[in-house]
Parts: sequence; structure tokens; C-alpha cells
Amino acid sequence: MITVPRPGRPRDGGNEGADGAGPAAPTRRRSRVRAFGLRTRMLAAFLLVAAVSAGTTSALTYREARNALLKTAQDMAVSTFRDQVERTGWRLPVEEEGIEEILRDLARTGKPRPWVVFAEYGSIRASSGENPVSSVITPELRRAATADRYGSFERVVKDGVPYLTIGMPTVFKTGPDSTLPTGLVLYAVMRMTDEQINVDALLIAARNGALPGLAVALVPALLAARSVLRPVRELRRAARSMGSGRLDTRIPVRGRDELADLADTFNESAGQLERSVGELRDAEARARRFASDVSHELRTPLAGMLAVTEVLDEDADRLDADTAQAVRLVSAETGKLAVLVEDLMEISRFDARAAELNSDEIDVAEAIRKTLQARHWADDDRIRTELPPDIRARLDPRRFDVVIANLVGNALRHGGAPVTVLLRTEASSSGTLVLVVEVADRGPGIPAAALPHIFDRFYKADAARTRSPGSGLGLAITLENVNLHDGTIRAGNLPGGGAVFTVEIPLRAEEAGR
Amino acid sequence: MRRGGRRGVARRRTRWRGLATAVVAAVGGPLVGGCGIQDSDVIEAGGPATVEAFLNRDADMLLFFRSPDGGLSPVVREVRPSAGFGDEYIEPGAVARDPSGPAGPAPTEKVVLALLSGPGEADRAAGLTTALPAVREKEAVQVEVASDGGITARLPLAVQDLDATAVRQLTCTIAYNQAKDGRGVVTLRGQDGAQRSGSCGLAPGASG
Repeated sequence: MITVPRPGRPRDGGNEGADGAGPAAPTRRRSRVRAFGLRTRMLAAFLLVAAVSAGTTSALTYREARNALLKTAQDMAVSTFRDQVERTGWRLPVEEEGIEEILRDLARTGKPRPWVVFAEYGSIRASSGENPVSSVITPELRRAATADRYGSFERVVKDGVPYLTIGMPTVFKTGPDSTLPTGLVLYAVMRMTDEQINVDALLIAARNGALPGLAVALVPALLAARSVLRPVRELRRAARSMGSGRLDTRIPVRGRDELADLADTFNESAGQLERSVGELRDAEARARRFASDVSHELRTPLAGMLAVTEVLDEDADRLDADTAQAVRLVSAETGKLAVLVEDLMEISRFDARAAELNSDEIDVAEAIRKTLQARHWADDDRIRTELPPDIRARLDPRRFDVVIANLVGNALRHGGAPVTVLLRTEASSSGTLVLVVEVADRGPGIPAAALPHIFDRFYKADAARTRSPGSGLGLAITLENVNLHDGTIRAGNLPGGGAVFTVEIPLRAEEAGR
Repeated sequence: MRRGGRRGVARRRTRWRGLATAVVAAVGGPLVGGCGIQDSDVIEAGGPATVEAFLNRDADMLLFFRSPDGGLSPVVREVRPSAGFGDEYIEPGAVARDPSGPAGPAPTEKVVLALLSGPGEADRAAGLTTALPAVREKEAVQVEVASDGGITARLPLAVQDLDATAVRQLTCTIAYNQAKDGRGVVTLRGQDGAQRSGSCGLAPGASG
């Protein structure tokens, strides 16, 4: 046989049946922009800091500016109003007629803006406007002006319009240094629309100042994120590359920061890993070569021995009973040894990845029937088959024959009759069609402790039965053959007793013709 | 192990959420809450305004009446004989009302009588009233000034039954007639023999 090394396919671990994680383990591809990735978090942090500082600064500035603006307007209004009122003269008691002219005079000269002036004296209510009584002046201001006799002001927002209301009680001189309240209280009400506009402009300016700050903060945020993300991305790529077997992967080390240290450490670890893996591989290769060499060396003398024992077997009848028994024993053991050596050679071919698949499109039912006939099991009433016709698949006929023969032989040897061989196709979980062969027996089944190791080499489920007809490599070779077809095999027990081996081999869609 | 780790993540997430809330409150609070022009409290801005009341102490008298809000309002009234009073006082335009004394305020007795006769037409038009009862006797007002500045007034009415406003009306009228600053202590003595004393206390800065 000419063995062509198959392109390196990673070997899968021993027991394929334990879980379905075959070579098609999903490689997780993540998008570059993640919802809460490093970049997003760093951008968010930068923006947050910028927003807090810009927001606080503009809020405080705005506040101070607004307060200063309002204070100027209010102080000016109050002092102007007081000056104007002090220029007026009133006869006591105040007479209602003529009062409105005085108030209108006062109103015209309001600063910074004309205002509406209201007068209250006794039961007289008058104003320079249309309503004699203002709806804006609050009882608190009125109390401050009448009871406490202080000039006071109050900002009132009514229906969204801010007003400045000033209450000014009046006194008159009764002597050079004594005054007496007249009982007349004058109020001025001024709309603060200009102040409102100025304050709004301040607010807009503060907001507009904060936004460019945020935009500017984006630049260092992006740079910082990039400087962190690039090494991290390189590291991830390198780690993935190492995971897929390229142990010579290294990362370029830039700068002297923590990320450079990390890259350095990664490179060192990768180097050490590469060395140890290399040593292990060498040792394994030596061990394999040794097993292969040993079995090769044993084959030639065994061939001679087999020829001799055949002759001896034929002549055994003519020997005396004891000698005949001994001769038959030697002959049988030699035969087993030959089988063992063949199996060992087969296994070492698998280990050396020298086993190759010679696929051919075959009728699977026909192939199984041929296998049974070749082993003289076709007419055996211990074997039942359910082989639907017209299932065709691309298989290596020789290896498939080995799989079926090993499973059926194993069932006959260790399980109980009847042995059932079932063939069917079904859709696997991933949607592809798979060929399923089930070999079940009605024996005692496989002990639970033995199930994980059933496909191990030289593993014997029944420890007491140290001598069995098999080589101890049958199921291991079966597993390797199924794996070679990209299939899986698993062992289990039927609910009613008896072991069942299930082989699943994917059907190539374009080749699974009927 | 694993569960502990997950709890740690949850705790970290809670902490992050708390931090974010604090930041939003710190930034958004002043920005959103303090926008525009807000209401303010009543803020005191100095004393009252001093106006001209055309008070001529030589020709006018100050009477105090009750304003609708319960306080006292001074009114300035020219001293002139009126129908309700006797004609022992000087006619308007006369050079001196009291040739025996120096030019000065009208005699307090006359001022008190003017007060007792109640608010005039202009006063009533402005809503001013009096808390004093109407008085018939016209001669019964006597005012004495003691050496210590205390003023005693005998009044033709029962002092005991007067309410506080009425007492203050009398007190202030008498006090401001006697002194420009109205600081003197006034004792009211009524027909009923009762006696009440006090000071006006209307000047700004004084209590009351």
C-alpha cells in the first residue's frame, strides 16, 4: 500500500461518543465593535469626564453670570424707583383724583425699562396701567411693604413670564430727623423679558460651549482606545493562531508599557510551549515508530511460523493426544499473534496518519451483506438485519467492512444473541443527512464504568476474562476507521438490556444519490 | 466560585449604575434645574422712600385716623376754624393765632377736638375712619405738659372702654402735636376717671 500523508487534521480525542463536539466546534467570530467593549467603555469614560467638567463649568459660569445679570437689573430698578418716588409729593390724605397722572409719570421713567406703578392708600387702589390692582404682587411682598415698612423686591414668574415686583412704602418728614409713614405704598411691576432673553442666550452659550468640548474629548478617547485595543487585538489573533496549532506565533513588542510586558510574556510562554510540545512530539513519534518497527519485524517470522503451524495442524490427528493438543494450542496462539500484529500495524498506520481513505460510491446494504457473508454470518440465525435498499454513500469499502465486522464480531463474542444490524439515514442536528448503522445485542450490556473506556486500546470490559479471542484493538481500530470517514461512533446500553453501538457517517450531499 | 463571580459582576454593575446616576444628577441638576429666571423670595432693599407731604408745622396739624388695614394713617389738616368748633380761634389768614405765645403748632386741645370730630370728607373718601366715639362736649379737653416732658390729657369721654386703635389715635395725635418726633409719653385721663398712658411709636425703626 502506498501511503500518502494526509494533510494535518487535528486528532480528536479518544472517545468520540461521549459528546458530539466533533471537529466542527464553532469558532467564535466576534464583531469588532462590541456593545460594552473596551473601546466603548473608554470612549464613555472620556466623554463622561469631559461632560462632567464642561457641564459643571458651564453650569457654574451660567449661574454666576445669570445672578450677576439679575442683580444688576434688580438693584438698578429698585434704586431708580426709590429715587423717583422720593421726587413725588402727596397731600395727606391722598386723594384719588389726579393720582393716576402721578403714577403714569413714574411709569414712564422706569429704568432699565418702563414699569407699571401701583399705589395703595387706605381703600384707594390706583395704577398707571389698566387694572388698579396687580395680579403679580404677592401677599409676602405686600406684607413686607406695609407691616415691616421695608423697600423690598421679589421676582415672580407668572405664566412663564418673569416679573420684577418692587414694594416701596413711603414716609414723610415731621421734623429734621423724624419721619412718619404716610400709609401710601407704591409698587412697581416690570417685565424681565430682556433679562430673560439675556439669560437664555447665556444658557445657549454655555451649552454650545460644552458640546465642542465633548467633541474634542472624543479624539484623545479614540487615540487611547486605539493604543490599548491594537495590542489586545494582536494578542487575541496570536492566541487564536496558537490554539490552531501554529506554535511559532509571536507578537511584535512595541513600547515599554504594561501591554508590551504582556506581549513579552506571551512570546516567552509561546516559546516554552513550542519547545515542550516539540519534545513531546518527538518522543511520541519515536514511540510510534518503535511500535511500527516491532510489528514489522514480527511479521516476517510470524509468516513462517504460520506456515509451519498449518502443516502441524494438518498432521495433528496423527500425533498422540497430548502432543496434538499442544500443537493445536501453539497453532491457535500463533494465529492470534498474527491477528494482533496485523492490528498493531493498522493502528500504527493510523497513529502515523498514514491511513488513507479510498472512497468509492457503494450500496451500503449490499456492503454490509457482503461483510456478513465473508465472515459466514449470512445464514447465522443469531444475526438479524434490517437493511433498506438503495442507500448509497461514498465509503472506503475495506474500512467499512472492518467497522461492520468488528462491531458484529464484538457483539457475538461479548453480547448475547440475537445481534441486530440496523441501517438507516436521518437528518442530524446540523441539518445534514447522516448514514446510521446500529449494531445491538441482547447480552448483559456494557458496565457503566467501562463505557468511557470502551474504545481504548487493549481495554477489557471484563477484567476477569483476561484471555479473549480478540486482540484488544478491534474497537480502537473501528473508532479510527469511523473517524477517517468524518463520522462518529458511540456505545451505549439498550433500556431492555444489551449493548448498542451506533455509527454515524455524514452523507456527502452531492454524492448521496439514490 | 462561579456563582460568587456572577454576584461580583452584579455588584460591580450596581456600583456603575450608582456612579452614573450621581454624575447625571451632578451635571444635569444645575443645568436643567437652574435654567432661566426663577422665582425669588421677598428681598429687602433698604428702607422706605421719603416723600414730600407738604407738612407745615406752623399751619397744619397732624391727625391720625384708622386705615382699612387696621393701622394708623396720618392726615395733614390746615388749622382753620370750622363749623363744629367755637370761634375763639383765629380766622384763616390771621397773622397769629395766639398772640400771647410764640408761633408754633396749633394748641393741642384744638387738635384733639378736631380728631374727636372724626374724619373729614377727603379722609373718608380715602377709606379712613375713626375708632373714637362721637363727642358732644367741646370744652372738656385739657392738656398739661409736665416738667419731665410727660403729657397728660383730660378727655370728655370714657377712656376705659376705648380700643387700642382709639388710644393710639389719641396718643399719636397728641404726641406729634407736642413734639416733632412724637416721642413723648401721653397719659389719657377720661371722664370715667380711668387713665391710660403710652407713646405713639409710629416712627420707622421704633417698635410697633
